[in-house]
Amino acid sequence: MLENYLPILFFMIIGIAIGAVMSIIGFLLGTRRPNPEKDSPYECGFEAFEDARMKFDVRYYLVAILFIIFDLEIAFLFPWAVIIKSAGLFEFIAMMIFLSILVIGFIYEWKKGALEWE
Amino acid sequence: MQTLIYVITILLYIVVILVPLMVGVAYLTLAERKIIGYMQVRIGPNRVNLPLPLLNKLRGFGQPIADAFKLMFKEIVLPTHSNRFLFIIAPTISFAPAIAAWAVIPFAEGWVLSDINVGLLYILAMTSMSVYGILIAGWASNSKYALLGTLRSAAQVVSYEIAMGFALVGVLMAAGSLNLSDIVAAQNGSFLHWFWLPLLPLFAIYFISGVAETNRAPFDVAEGESEIVAGFHVEYSGMLFAIFFLAEYANMILIAALASLMFLGGWLSPFQGIPVLEPMFAWVPGIFWLLGKMSIFLFLYLWSRATFPRYRYDQIMRLGWKVFIPITLVWIVVIGVAILVKLPPWFDIVAKG
Amino acid sequence: MTTTLIFYFFAATLIFAAFRVITVRNPVHAALFLVLTFFSSAAIWLLLQAEFLAIALVLVYVGAVMVLFLFVVMMLDINFAPLREGFAKHLPVGLTVGFLILIEMVMVVTHWKGLANPSTVVTTEMSNTKMLGQVLYTVYAYPFEIAAAILLVAMIAAIALTSRLHNRAKYQKPEQQVVVRREDRIRLISMPAEPKD
Repeated sequence: MLENYLPILFFMIIGIAIGAVMSIIGFLLGTRRPNPEKDSPYECGFEAFEDARMKFDVRYYLVAILFIIFDLEIAFLFPWAVIIKSAGLFEFIAMMIFLSILVIGFIYEWKKGALEWE
Repeated sequence: MQTLIYVITILLYIVVILVPLMVGVAYLTLAERKIIGYMQVRIGPNRVNLPLPLLNKLRGFGQPIADAFKLMFKEIVLPTHSNRFLFIIAPTISFAPAIAAWAVIPFAEGWVLSDINVGLLYILAMTSMSVYGILIAGWASNSKYALLGTLRSAAQVVSYEIAMGFALVGVLMAAGSLNLSDIVAAQNGSFLHWFWLPLLPLFAIYFISGVAETNRAPFDVAEGESEIVAGFHVEYSGMLFAIFFLAEYANMILIAALASLMFLGGWLSPFQGIPVLEPMFAWVPGIFWLLGKMSIFLFLYLWSRATFPRYRYDQIMRLGWKVFIPITLVWIVVIGVAILVKLPPWFDIVAKG
Repeated sequence: MTTTLIFYFFAATLIFAAFRVITVRNPVHAALFLVLTFFSSAAIWLLLQAEFLAIALVLVYVGAVMVLFLFVVMMLDINFAPLREGFAKHLPVGLTVGFLILIEMVMVVTHWKGLANPSTVVTTEMSNTKMLGQVLYTVYAYPFEIAAAILLVAMIAAIALTSRLHNRAKYQKPEQQVVVRREDRIRLISMPAEPKD
């Protein structure tokens, strides 16, 4: 089994290597004439007057949290999806209970307006 | 010694996969400009020729190579208040997973580099890594536009990943395996046995989510050049920008490949089971069918870019959460029932193992 | 032999990355080192042949949990200097807790007999996703449903914590727009022609 994962490791290393080599080529061949105007962060003609890192709408965090929960749900669904063809009614019902508990949560967030964006 | 030979073989295989992929990416950019050009009654790039026999008749065929050289010699601007180290490695972080996902893609029967049992889960894990490149690039730039683009695109990518994951669960239920070769093998029969038919809603949702995952039009609010100029990579130039670009196009081709493998029977011939046509096309190697099916999806990508206006951000989130997730959930239950009653012709065969 | 070498490589990476998580100054760097930590532990799980769990670890922790962490440290713009000031004050409590955890770990490790006997390790040709699936929804059905309940609690808690969502904006509601019929909007009335005076 493990020998199948060796190519993946190589693939990742090569992916990183290609990225690194391309960045280095860019730095070696590219011109380098910095000046303060060019290096300032993009801002429609203004001078940047404050740090760009600012607080954002809480909705974005909510999306990230809900994403974790649904991602876990998917991780629970994967083994079930693989065995369902050879499994019986018991496994099917077990998953239906699991899904319906989570659908309650989904309906709750829907009703609470957590999925609304303005 | 034997280990060395083994390692070199693997490296050769990787080159055999990556070189066509990179050429494919380069010419996908040309195809994009040409196809959208013709759709808008323009010609598209037609100046740069390749000085090679036969190819020198195709005007514009050298454009991607010229672009590559241009980008190499462009200056890489490092913004003043940026976090230098993260700014420079961010493109590589988005590029490496886009490349690594290709390790488990089967190109034809038995033509697969690493035939792991959890192939599909691995692909999902790798695509979920792509958000890191976006997050790090946007934060390291320390520019308002980049940060806005990052937030939008990260929230969009994670939302559509859920719809995508649920769609994959449907495929797994129908195939009974996480291995991509087994998934194709489970579609053997005729083009009516391919999963596009029993999983039609999931097929549509998978591809549309794929478009949203790769931040392509009409879901490209992350770039939205008319409002936030270029999104998370607004501060990037030269080669660093080129790496982001390569990663984006490699991801597009990956989505096309996965959609063909999971829903359109991968390398299986579309004429399977049809009396006269099947023997007539039996000589065509499987990989050509796969490439043909991939081209259909890539064309859809370009076509939708030329056709649809950009979605508004709240519409994108609404589509992902309120339309796609409920549909996929319902369809998972539908397939579950179909498997329980062994609905022919797709679910009447008991899976092996 | 090779496996052992690979194990030590990933174990060393893991310890180094975990150490850097608590020593680097920049919180974003710390979060990225935590990503590396999860990655290395996934590799070690792979070496133990637990391929489903290893990749699920990458999917859930690297792909989802750490994205939230990064979101928070990147966008919340917390000033971390005041948080560090109480370091000396909290040191005794921290040391006590750390020491207790250490004792517990030692007790667990020295009394652990589960895997000491190699004959208990089952090796089959079956993929371990399937093996997991065959027990998770039957033998462990109750814990599985409890997991659903925990996820539900998490979902509701997340929404409750962020419930100050007030909607001032007016939306288009496509589901209402598409069902509108002509009769809902247009009323045709016949009027007698008015004489011109």
